[in-house]
Amino acid sequence: MRPPLKRNKILIMGVTILLVLSLNFFQKEVKNFFYLISFPIQKVLWQAGDRTSSFFEIIVEIKELKTENEKLKLKIQELLSENTELKELKRENEDLRKALEIDLKKDFKLILADVSGKDALEDSVLINKGLKEGILKDFPVITPQRTLLGKIDEVYENFSRITLISNKNSSFNAKIITADNGVLGVVRGEGNFRVIFDLMPREATVKEGSSVVTTGFEGIFPEGILVGEIKKIEKNDVTPFQRAKVEPAFNIKELNAVFIISDF
Amino acid sequence: MRKILILAILFYILVLLQTSFLVHFNIFGHVPNFILLLVVVLSISEPPTIFFKKVAGGENSGVWGAVFGGFFLDIFSSGPIGFQILIYTAISIFIKLILKKYLWINILKTKE
Repeated sequence: MRPPLKRNKILIMGVTILLVLSLNFFQKEVKNFFYLISFPIQKVLWQAGDRTSSFFEIIVEIKELKTENEKLKLKIQELLSENTELKELKRENEDLRKALEIDLKKDFKLILADVSGKDALEDSVLINKGLKEGILKDFPVITPQRTLLGKIDEVYENFSRITLISNKNSSFNAKIITADNGVLGVVRGEGNFRVIFDLMPREATVKEGSSVVTTGFEGIFPEGILVGEIKKIEKNDVTPFQRAKVEPAFNIKELNAVFIISDF
Repeated sequence: MRKILILAILFYILVLLQTSFLVHFNIFGHVPNFILLLVVVLSISEPPTIFFKKVAGGENSGVWGAVFGGFFLDIFSSGPIGFQILIYTAISIFIKLILKKYLWINILKTKE
Protein backbone atom coordinates (compact mmCIF):
# COMPACT_ATOMS: atom_id res chain seq x y z
CA MET A 1 0.00 0.00 0.00
CA ARG A 2 1.12 3.55 -0.72
CA PRO A 3 1.68 6.01 2.10
CA PRO A 4 -1.43 8.19 2.65
CA LEU A 5 0.43 11.45 1.92
CA LYS A 6 1.36 10.38 -1.58
CA ARG A 7 -2.14 9.11 -2.27
CA ASN A 8 -3.60 12.42 -1.13
CA LYS A 9 -1.29 14.29 -3.43
CA ILE A 10 -2.25 12.18 -6.42
CA LEU A 11 -5.91 12.74 -5.55
CA ILE A 12 -5.43 16.52 -5.35
CA MET A 13 -3.57 16.54 -8.66
CA GLY A 14 -6.29 14.49 -10.34
CA VAL A 15 -9.02 16.78 -9.04
CA THR A 16 -7.11 19.87 -10.20
CA ILE A 17 -6.63 18.47 -13.69
CA LEU A 18 -10.35 17.59 -13.90
CA LEU A 19 -11.25 21.07 -12.64
CA VAL A 20 -9.10 22.78 -15.26
CA LEU A 21 -10.50 20.55 -18.01
CA SER A 22 -14.06 21.20 -16.85
CA LEU A 23 -13.41 24.95 -17.23
CA ASN A 24 -13.50 24.29 -20.98
CA PHE A 25 -17.23 23.60 -20.80
CA PHE A 26 -17.80 27.15 -19.54
CA GLN A 27 -14.92 28.54 -21.57
CA LYS A 28 -16.81 31.62 -22.77
CA GLU A 29 -18.07 32.56 -19.32
CA VAL A 30 -14.71 31.98 -17.64
CA LYS A 31 -12.80 33.96 -20.24
CA ASN A 32 -15.38 36.75 -20.20
CA PHE A 33 -15.06 36.97 -16.40
CA PHE A 34 -11.27 37.29 -16.56
CA TYR A 35 -11.47 39.82 -19.40
CA LEU A 36 -13.96 41.89 -17.39
CA ILE A 37 -11.72 42.15 -14.33
CA SER A 38 -8.55 42.69 -16.36
CA PHE A 39 -9.88 45.17 -18.89
CA PRO A 40 -9.09 48.37 -16.90
CA ILE A 41 -5.48 47.24 -16.34
CA GLN A 42 -5.08 46.01 -19.91
CA LYS A 43 -6.36 49.26 -21.34
CA VAL A 44 -3.88 51.32 -19.33
CA LEU A 45 -1.05 48.94 -20.31
CA TRP A 46 -2.04 49.02 -24.00
CA GLN A 47 -2.01 52.82 -24.09
CA ALA A 48 1.24 53.02 -22.12
CA GLY A 49 2.85 50.58 -24.55
CA ASP A 50 1.57 52.59 -27.48
CA ARG A 51 3.06 55.81 -26.11
CA THR A 52 6.40 54.33 -25.06
CA SER A 53 6.96 52.51 -28.32
CA SER A 54 6.17 55.58 -30.40
CA PHE A 55 8.58 57.59 -28.23
CA PHE A 56 11.39 55.12 -28.95
CA GLU A 57 10.45 54.97 -32.61
CA ILE A 58 10.83 58.74 -32.89
CA ILE A 59 14.34 58.54 -31.43
CA VAL A 60 15.34 55.85 -33.92
CA GLU A 61 13.78 57.58 -36.90
CA ILE A 62 14.81 61.15 -36.13
CA LYS A 63 17.53 61.02 -38.82
CA GLU A 64 15.19 60.12 -41.61
CA LEU A 65 12.38 62.42 -40.54
CA LYS A 66 13.42 65.31 -42.77
CA THR A 67 13.64 63.35 -46.02
CA GLU A 68 10.49 61.46 -45.14
CA ASN A 69 8.69 64.71 -44.42
CA GLU A 70 9.59 66.09 -47.84
CA LYS A 71 8.48 62.90 -49.52
CA LEU A 72 5.19 62.93 -47.67
CA LYS A 73 4.55 66.56 -48.55
CA LEU A 74 4.99 65.74 -52.21
CA LYS A 75 2.68 62.77 -51.81
CA ILE A 76 0.06 64.95 -50.14
CA GLN A 77 0.10 67.34 -53.08
CA GLU A 78 -0.31 64.45 -55.46
CA LEU A 79 -3.15 62.94 -53.49
CA LEU A 80 -4.89 66.29 -53.05
CA SER A 81 -5.13 66.85 -56.77
CA GLU A 82 -6.27 63.26 -57.24
CA ASN A 83 -8.80 63.72 -54.46
CA THR A 84 -10.46 66.74 -56.04
CA GLU A 85 -10.67 64.85 -59.29
CA LEU A 86 -12.22 61.84 -57.58
CA LYS A 87 -14.71 63.99 -55.66
CA GLU A 88 -15.88 65.41 -58.93
CA LEU A 89 -16.20 61.88 -60.31
CA LYS A 90 -18.09 60.74 -57.20
CA ARG A 91 -20.62 63.52 -57.61
CA GLU A 92 -21.01 62.69 -61.25
CA ASN A 93 -21.41 58.99 -60.39
CA GLU A 94 -24.10 59.78 -57.84
CA ASP A 95 -25.95 61.98 -60.31
CA LEU A 96 -25.80 59.32 -62.98
CA ARG A 97 -26.92 56.62 -60.56
CA LYS A 98 -29.87 58.77 -59.56
CA ALA A 99 -30.70 59.38 -63.19
CA LEU A 100 -30.53 55.66 -63.93
CA GLU A 101 -32.35 54.83 -60.71
CA ILE A 102 -29.65 52.51 -59.39
CA ASP A 103 -29.24 52.31 -55.60
CA LEU A 104 -26.60 54.60 -54.22
CA LYS A 105 -23.69 52.95 -52.46
CA LYS A 106 -24.63 52.46 -48.83
CA ASP A 107 -22.35 53.58 -46.05
CA PHE A 108 -21.34 50.97 -43.50
CA LYS A 109 -22.94 50.71 -40.08
CA LEU A 110 -20.03 50.86 -37.68
CA ILE A 111 -19.51 49.90 -34.04
CA LEU A 112 -16.53 51.45 -32.25
CA ALA A 113 -14.45 49.27 -29.91
CA ASP A 114 -11.24 49.56 -27.89
CA VAL A 115 -8.36 47.12 -28.20
CA SER A 116 -7.27 45.58 -24.92
CA GLY A 117 -4.76 42.89 -25.77
CA LYS A 118 -3.18 40.56 -28.27
CA ASP A 119 -3.16 36.79 -28.19
CA ALA A 120 0.15 35.36 -26.99
CA LEU A 121 0.23 32.61 -29.61
CA GLU A 122 -1.66 33.80 -32.65
CA ASP A 123 -2.36 36.95 -34.59
CA SER A 124 -5.61 37.82 -32.90
CA VAL A 125 -6.69 40.82 -30.88
CA LEU A 126 -9.18 41.24 -28.03
CA ILE A 127 -11.73 44.08 -28.11
CA ASN A 128 -14.21 45.30 -25.52
CA LYS A 129 -17.50 44.84 -27.38
CA GLY A 130 -19.38 41.55 -27.51
CA LEU A 131 -22.76 39.86 -27.79
CA LYS A 132 -24.38 42.58 -25.69
CA GLU A 133 -23.52 45.21 -28.31
CA GLY A 134 -24.86 43.02 -31.10
CA ILE A 135 -21.58 41.70 -32.44
CA LEU A 136 -21.68 38.34 -34.19
CA LYS A 137 -19.12 35.95 -35.63
CA ASP A 138 -17.56 36.84 -39.02
CA PHE A 139 -18.28 40.56 -38.83
CA PRO A 140 -15.50 42.43 -40.69
CA VAL A 141 -13.27 44.77 -38.70
CA ILE A 142 -11.51 47.88 -40.04
CA THR A 143 -9.19 50.49 -38.57
CA PRO A 144 -10.24 54.15 -38.16
CA GLN A 145 -8.32 54.84 -41.41
CA ARG A 146 -10.67 52.41 -43.19
CA THR A 147 -8.08 49.75 -43.84
CA LEU A 148 -8.83 46.08 -43.33
CA LEU A 149 -7.86 44.55 -39.99
CA GLY A 150 -9.62 41.18 -39.85
CA LYS A 151 -12.86 39.55 -38.84
CA ILE A 152 -14.59 38.59 -35.60
CA ASP A 153 -13.67 35.07 -34.62
CA GLU A 154 -15.03 34.44 -31.13
CA VAL A 155 -17.74 36.37 -29.36
CA TYR A 156 -18.10 36.51 -25.57
CA GLU A 157 -20.70 38.36 -23.49
CA ASN A 158 -18.80 41.67 -23.26
CA PHE A 159 -15.73 40.97 -25.39
CA SER A 160 -14.80 39.50 -28.72
CA ARG A 161 -11.70 38.29 -30.48
CA ILE A 162 -10.58 39.47 -33.92
CA THR A 163 -8.58 37.20 -36.23
CA LEU A 164 -6.16 39.54 -37.96
CA ILE A 165 -5.61 39.14 -41.70
CA SER A 166 -2.06 38.08 -40.83
CA ASN A 167 -3.37 35.06 -38.88
CA LYS A 168 -2.37 31.72 -40.37
CA ASN A 169 -6.02 30.66 -40.63
CA SER A 170 -7.04 33.77 -42.54
CA SER A 171 -7.43 33.87 -46.31
CA PHE A 172 -9.74 35.81 -48.59
CA ASN A 173 -10.15 37.05 -52.14
CA ALA A 174 -8.42 40.27 -53.10
CA LYS A 175 -7.34 42.32 -56.06
CA ILE A 176 -4.23 44.31 -56.92
CA ILE A 177 -5.09 47.64 -58.47
CA THR A 178 -3.29 48.06 -61.79
CA ALA A 179 -3.70 50.40 -64.73
CA ASP A 180 -6.06 48.01 -66.51
CA ASN A 181 -8.52 45.62 -64.86
CA GLY A 182 -6.59 44.59 -61.80
CA VAL A 183 -5.07 41.26 -60.82
CA LEU A 184 -7.12 38.82 -58.78
CA GLY A 185 -5.64 36.57 -56.14
CA VAL A 186 -5.87 35.40 -52.57
CA VAL A 187 -4.49 37.18 -49.51
CA ARG A 188 -3.20 34.76 -46.90
CA GLY A 189 -1.86 35.32 -43.40
CA GLU A 190 1.54 33.92 -42.52
CA GLY A 191 1.62 34.69 -38.78
CA ASN A 192 3.67 37.34 -36.97
CA PHE A 193 1.97 40.21 -38.84
CA ARG A 194 3.12 38.92 -42.23
CA VAL A 195 0.71 38.75 -45.16
CA ILE A 196 1.21 37.38 -48.68
CA PHE A 197 -0.71 37.74 -51.93
CA ASP A 198 -0.94 34.30 -53.50
CA LEU A 199 -2.34 32.58 -56.62
CA MET A 200 -1.48 35.47 -58.89
CA PRO A 201 -1.36 34.43 -62.60
CA ARG A 202 2.19 34.10 -63.98
CA GLU A 203 1.62 36.45 -66.88
CA ALA A 204 0.37 39.28 -64.69
CA THR A 205 2.74 42.21 -64.35
CA VAL A 206 2.48 43.95 -61.03
CA LYS A 207 4.56 46.82 -59.78
CA GLU A 208 5.87 46.96 -56.24
CA GLY A 209 3.98 49.52 -54.22
CA SER A 210 0.59 48.93 -55.84
CA SER A 211 -2.40 48.69 -53.51
CA VAL A 212 -4.32 45.56 -52.62
CA VAL A 213 -8.07 45.82 -51.98
CA THR A 214 -10.79 43.35 -51.05
CA THR A 215 -13.16 42.05 -53.72
CA GLY A 216 -15.97 40.87 -51.48
CA PHE A 217 -16.38 37.58 -53.35
CA GLU A 218 -16.53 35.42 -50.23
CA GLY A 219 -19.24 37.56 -48.67
CA ILE A 220 -17.45 38.35 -45.43
CA PHE A 221 -15.60 41.55 -46.29
CA PRO A 222 -17.16 44.45 -48.16
CA GLU A 223 -15.72 45.36 -51.54
CA GLY A 224 -12.92 47.87 -52.03
CA ILE A 225 -11.35 48.07 -48.59
CA LEU A 226 -7.61 48.66 -48.57
CA VAL A 227 -5.60 45.64 -47.39
CA GLY A 228 -2.05 46.82 -47.93
CA GLU A 229 0.71 47.44 -50.38
CA ILE A 230 2.68 44.98 -52.53
CA LYS A 231 6.24 44.76 -51.20
CA LYS A 232 8.22 42.06 -52.95
CA ILE A 233 7.17 39.85 -55.84
CA GLU A 234 8.40 36.27 -55.85
CA LYS A 235 8.47 34.75 -59.32
CA ASN A 236 9.52 31.15 -59.70
CA ASP A 237 9.92 29.11 -62.91
CA VAL A 238 8.59 25.98 -61.23
CA THR A 239 5.42 27.20 -59.57
CA PRO A 240 2.33 27.90 -61.69
CA PHE A 241 1.56 31.10 -59.79
CA GLN A 242 3.37 34.18 -58.60
CA ARG A 243 3.19 35.34 -55.05
CA ALA A 244 4.05 38.62 -53.40
CA LYS A 245 4.72 39.88 -49.91
CA VAL A 246 2.15 42.42 -48.74
CA GLU A 247 2.81 45.17 -46.24
CA PRO A 248 -0.46 45.28 -44.25
CA ALA A 249 -2.04 48.71 -44.04
CA PHE A 250 -2.69 48.38 -40.31
CA ASN A 251 0.07 48.67 -37.73
CA ILE A 252 -0.46 46.76 -34.50
CA LYS A 253 1.76 49.22 -32.66
CA GLU A 254 -0.50 52.14 -33.49
CA LEU A 255 -3.79 50.37 -33.02
CA ASN A 256 -6.05 51.79 -30.32
CA ALA A 257 -9.60 51.75 -31.58
CA VAL A 258 -11.24 49.63 -34.26
CA PHE A 259 -14.54 49.72 -36.14
CA ILE A 260 -16.71 46.65 -36.59
CA ILE A 261 -18.89 46.71 -39.71
CA SER A 262 -22.29 45.38 -38.71
CA ASP A 263 -24.03 46.04 -41.99
CA PHE A 264 -22.83 46.58 -45.53
CA MET B 1 0.75 28.50 0.39
CA ARG B 2 1.63 32.19 0.51
CA LYS B 3 4.38 31.61 -2.01
CA ILE B 4 1.92 29.96 -4.41
CA LEU B 5 -0.45 32.90 -4.12
CA ILE B 6 2.35 35.37 -4.82
CA LEU B 7 3.38 33.30 -7.84
CA ALA B 8 -0.21 33.33 -9.14
CA ILE B 9 -0.44 37.14 -8.86
CA LEU B 10 3.02 37.62 -10.34
CA PHE B 11 2.21 35.50 -13.37
CA TYR B 12 -1.19 37.18 -13.83
CA ILE B 13 0.51 40.57 -14.01
CA LEU B 14 3.20 39.20 -16.32
CA VAL B 15 0.63 37.76 -18.71
CA LEU B 16 -1.21 41.10 -18.79
CA LEU B 17 2.09 42.83 -19.58
CA GLN B 18 2.85 40.26 -22.23
CA THR B 19 -0.47 40.55 -24.03
CA SER B 20 -1.05 44.30 -23.69
CA PHE B 21 2.23 46.15 -23.18
CA LEU B 22 4.97 44.15 -24.87
CA VAL B 23 2.94 43.77 -28.08
CA HIS B 24 4.07 47.27 -28.98
CA PHE B 25 7.74 46.29 -28.80
CA ASN B 26 7.80 43.33 -31.16
CA ILE B 27 11.17 42.61 -32.72
CA PHE B 28 10.74 41.64 -36.40
CA GLY B 29 7.19 40.62 -35.60
CA HIS B 30 8.06 38.49 -32.58
CA VAL B 31 6.83 39.41 -29.12
CA PRO B 32 9.28 38.35 -26.38
CA ASN B 33 7.90 35.56 -24.18
CA PHE B 34 8.71 36.49 -20.61
CA ILE B 35 6.48 33.79 -19.15
CA LEU B 36 8.60 31.04 -20.71
CA LEU B 37 11.78 32.84 -19.69
CA LEU B 38 10.72 33.14 -16.05
CA VAL B 39 9.52 29.53 -15.90
CA VAL B 40 12.88 28.33 -17.24
CA VAL B 41 14.87 30.57 -14.90
CA LEU B 42 12.82 29.49 -11.87
CA SER B 43 13.17 25.82 -12.80
CA ILE B 44 16.92 26.06 -13.25
CA SER B 45 17.70 28.24 -10.26
CA GLU B 46 15.93 26.34 -7.46
CA PRO B 47 17.02 22.98 -6.06
CA PRO B 48 15.19 20.15 -7.83
CA THR B 49 12.57 18.09 -5.98
CA ILE B 50 12.08 14.33 -5.90
CA PHE B 51 8.57 13.61 -7.26
CA PHE B 52 7.34 17.00 -5.99
CA LYS B 53 8.46 16.15 -2.42
CA LYS B 54 10.50 18.87 -0.81
CA VAL B 55 13.52 16.76 0.07
CA ALA B 56 16.92 18.35 0.70
CA GLY B 57 15.71 21.91 0.16
CA GLY B 58 13.95 21.13 -3.12
CA GLU B 59 11.44 23.71 -4.32
CA ASN B 60 8.47 23.56 -6.69
CA SER B 61 7.90 27.21 -7.63
CA GLY B 62 9.03 26.56 -11.21
CA VAL B 63 6.22 24.05 -11.71
CA TRP B 64 3.68 26.29 -9.95
CA GLY B 65 4.81 29.21 -12.08
CA ALA B 66 4.37 27.08 -15.18
CA VAL B 67 0.84 26.11 -14.10
CA PHE B 68 -0.26 29.68 -13.40
CA GLY B 69 1.57 31.18 -16.39
CA GLY B 70 0.05 28.58 -18.69
CA PHE B 71 -3.41 29.06 -17.21
CA PHE B 72 -3.45 32.82 -17.67
CA LEU B 73 -1.94 32.56 -21.16
CA ASP B 74 -4.75 30.12 -22.00
CA ILE B 75 -7.31 32.58 -20.68
CA PHE B 76 -5.92 35.38 -22.84
CA SER B 77 -5.64 33.34 -26.02
CA SER B 78 -8.16 31.64 -28.26
CA GLY B 79 -7.21 28.00 -27.65
CA PRO B 80 -8.74 25.57 -25.14
CA ILE B 81 -7.97 26.09 -21.44
CA GLY B 82 -5.24 23.67 -20.35
CA PHE B 83 -3.20 23.57 -23.56
CA GLN B 84 -0.45 25.95 -22.52
CA ILE B 85 -0.59 24.76 -18.89
CA LEU B 86 0.48 21.36 -20.22
CA ILE B 87 3.29 22.78 -22.38
CA TYR B 88 4.81 24.98 -19.67
CA THR B 89 4.47 22.39 -16.91
CA ALA B 90 6.10 19.80 -19.14
CA ILE B 91 8.99 22.16 -19.84
CA SER B 92 9.48 22.88 -16.13
CA ILE B 93 9.30 19.21 -15.07
CA PHE B 94 11.63 18.21 -17.89
CA ILE B 95 14.25 20.75 -16.81
CA LYS B 96 13.95 19.62 -13.20
CA LEU B 97 14.28 15.96 -14.14
CA ILE B 98 17.42 16.62 -16.16
CA LEU B 99 18.94 18.73 -13.40
CA LYS B 100 18.12 16.14 -10.75
CA LYS B 101 19.49 13.27 -12.76
CA TYR B 102 22.76 14.87 -13.82
CA LEU B 103 23.80 18.01 -12.03
CA TRP B 104 22.41 21.05 -10.34
CA ILE B 105 24.60 24.04 -9.55
CA ASN B 106 23.36 26.80 -7.32
CA ILE B 107 23.63 29.79 -9.62
CA LEU B 108 21.83 32.36 -7.48
CA LYS B 109 23.19 31.92 -3.95
CA THR B 110 26.91 32.19 -3.35
CA LYS B 111 26.89 30.48 0.06
CA GLU B 112 24.61 27.99 1.75
